[in-house]
Amino acid sequence: MDRREFLEQVAAWSAGACVATPVFNVSSIVAAEGKPQGASLLAVAKGKDYAALVEQVMKPLGGMAAFVKKDDRVVVKPNIGWDRTPEQAANTHPDVVKTVVQQCLDAGAKRVLVFDRTVNDARRCYVKSGIQAAVESIGDSRAQCVFQDQSKFVPVQIENAKSLKEFHFYQDALATECDCYINVPIAKHHCLSKLTIGLKNAMGVIGGNRGEIHKGIHQRIADLNLVIRPKLTIVDATRILLRNGPTGGNLADVKVLDTLIASADPVAADAYATTLFGMKPEELGSTVAAAKLGLGEMDLSKVKILNA
Amino acid sequence: MRRLLWIPWRWWRRAAQLVLLVAFVWLFRRTEYSGAEQLPGGENILFRLDPLAAAAAMLAGRQVIALFWPALVMVGLTLVLGRFFCGWVCPLGTLLDYFHRLLRPITRRTNALLRPRLAAAAAAPLRGTRYFLLIAVLLAAGLAFPLVGLVDPFSLLVRGLTFALDPLLCRAANAYFAWSGSGWVATVLQPFAKKHLLPFRPMVFYLTEVSAAILVVIFLLELAARRFWCRWLCPAGALFGLLARRSLVKHLPVRVCKACGQCVELCRMDALDPAAGLSPHACTLCMECVDHCPKGIVQFGIKRKAKSRPRPVDLSRRGVLTGIAAGVAIPGAAVAVRLGHESPVPPHLIRPPGAGDEKTFLSLCIRCGECMKVCPTNVLQPAIFEAGLAGMFSPRLVPRLLFEQSNCEYTCTLCSQVCPTGAIPRLTEELKHHHPSGKSYFDHNRCLPWAKQTPCIRCEEMCPTPEKAIKILNTFKIKQDGEEVEIQQPFVDRELCVGCGICESNCTIEGVAGIRVQRVDAPDPGTEFLLKGANKAAGQARPPAADGRAAPAGAKGGSF
Repeated sequence: MDRREFLEQVAAWSAGACVATPVFNVSSIVAAEGKPQGASLLAVAKGKDYAALVEQVMKPLGGMAAFVKKDDRVVVKPNIGWDRTPEQAANTHPDVVKTVVQQCLDAGAKRVLVFDRTVNDARRCYVKSGIQAAVESIGDSRAQCVFQDQSKFVPVQIENAKSLKEFHFYQDALATECDCYINVPIAKHHCLSKLTIGLKNAMGVIGGNRGEIHKGIHQRIADLNLVIRPKLTIVDATRILLRNGPTGGNLADVKVLDTLIASADPVAADAYATTLFGMKPEELGSTVAAAKLGLGEMDLSKVKILNA
Repeated sequence: MRRLLWIPWRWWRRAAQLVLLVAFVWLFRRTEYSGAEQLPGGENILFRLDPLAAAAAMLAGRQVIALFWPALVMVGLTLVLGRFFCGWVCPLGTLLDYFHRLLRPITRRTNALLRPRLAAAAAAPLRGTRYFLLIAVLLAAGLAFPLVGLVDPFSLLVRGLTFALDPLLCRAANAYFAWSGSGWVATVLQPFAKKHLLPFRPMVFYLTEVSAAILVVIFLLELAARRFWCRWLCPAGALFGLLARRSLVKHLPVRVCKACGQCVELCRMDALDPAAGLSPHACTLCMECVDHCPKGIVQFGIKRKAKSRPRPVDLSRRGVLTGIAAGVAIPGAAVAVRLGHESPVPPHLIRPPGAGDEKTFLSLCIRCGECMKVCPTNVLQPAIFEAGLAGMFSPRLVPRLLFEQSNCEYTCTLCSQVCPTGAIPRLTEELKHHHPSGKSYFDHNRCLPWAKQTPCIRCEEMCPTPEKAIKILNTFKIKQDGEEVEIQQPFVDRELCVGCGICESNCTIEGVAGIRVQRVDAPDPGTEFLLKGANKAAGQARPPAADGRAAPAGAKGGSF
């Protein structure tokens, strides 16, 4: 190899390496399905046994089998964001998560992934929330509580978005990799967005600088939900955090309600959960913005509420 | 006894080296959060065995450190057995042996070439160097000037592994797994490696290159002579050597046999010299001379009445004086040019929670890197020159190193569990909250709600104290375009703030954050302190005037 040949090859290989950098665009695949058809159904259940409560709240909606089909790739997305214990009400209750995962498996799911983009160190959150242990205790290799892989955040163009035209999303949560996304948030106080419930839980599957979301938080949360479309939202209001959220830490700020809310309509689920705090659905900017985008129904008089 | 259980002694030594190296790597790997608030313990044992670190930390800190009791055991063992630590235990020594063996085709040639030249050109200065370093370090420690971390072999080793090799390995492995993707690598090797061999995630550290370079130089010196570092440079080895001078277990016969000279050739430490005699302070009991003696007369044993005195330590009067001079001169010079910790402590030099005043902390810290290794969020970073020359490699909190990740975790006490000297005292979660690492303050020229009347308060969201240390004031502000807006403006309750830095780490503005953590003992740069006492009667309902401007007339009381 002479010098000219060497230089030519270096140029060719470097050009190839530059061109080969992957570019992701999954926008066409995650096209919005639009507003759920017909009147939104919403189930509410109360009870002390949280495992039985999941069963109870799902019954009027047709059970988990109405949402999870055989061989579905399922994502169960709880809130595992904080280095807090279950009774401190910063994360979704592990018993709720465990039962939801269990039901997905029973419905024939091929794979159930549980993950969150945590705020505190992921290992600490997964352990302290009890969720990792809860999922592992099922003892089924199809169900896995996994740490997010930093290389799996891909840029997505958000069609119809009003504020956030493009953002990074976690690949496994996108419709390309996931047949059924089940959102299992906890309802908590949050100073800036007033409350954090289901819509804001999408913050756990986005990459990049999450601080960006806070600049015009209500619209941006709604925009995120144009991409992340849960087939089912189960709001964990077994205990809610009234003050000093979303981190909590003081048991005096926790109110035990023993309540679960389930709906295929993410906006209706948030709207109903808001009333548990003695607030009106329209007080939450993200709910209003999401309803305007056609993501669901926020007028509870138009929602069919089933007390299970 | 020339053999133990019919196995040559050098094989016993090699087995011990291998087992202890594996133990060292295992402990190093275990120095990480693994799901429990309490580490199993023993992660820092290597440092606590080190009499040099013990002596320097106690001298500099002016206190007896009970954590160092294993070093006392080592001293006792060395008085009996000699300098066995260097030959049988030290992980750096073992790694140097392996390195030398691995590159034997090269090292054999380069050693043959360089060794005689070295001996001819620099024999006397080389021999004295380790004692020179030892005297300088201990004397500087006596003057409360901590230098031990710059030369202690275990600090150099663990820092090199933590700051350079570990992140490199982790990244290389991740790249390999991403590239190979499927097959048994993905199903078997990757889960196993992630669980048992690799750190949880690749960490990022300052001074990576420096730490790596020091270690690389130590290893490359093997090209010049076997165990170059241990033979001529290591101050811990020098201390073990001094303790070993009259050890009970001796190389026998005491006079070096002049028959074949093979043992002299084999000795990796220059401990045997047919003319000058035996040097117990150099001998690391590697046992090569015992196993290879063709006449079978060499052994180690106890001989009460040794007739000949051991060869004197390779320490000339000039060497001692130079060491003393350096030990005094380095702290003196550093203070003189204000590189030492005598200069005012920079407000953003935040130490780990529980670390006392800056001077005591620096004196006790031996720069071992254990706290930075164990820190789950990577927020602990080695200081470069922020703490002065003497503070290099000491741990500090850098909340903005990794965006959204690097903060001190509210309930974590791991760094206090691995600190071998108590520079970071042993903490419980509650104790930690009573010893904040710093206090936050807002930069009203950068914080969005203050500077631009733009909603944000991400800092408040993140704040981990059960009652938020960042409080919110709902006020009406007139924006630059004349529009009146209701805005939540955050301020810090210094009583509640623990200085974890999660606010600074997560602040939504790029570059320097709008909220920063500074030392507890630094003056509060926020505006609140200007009003100290003046506003107590009104409580804190009245908004603190930002940027010298009074809040508009319509300002509402805070809702907190």
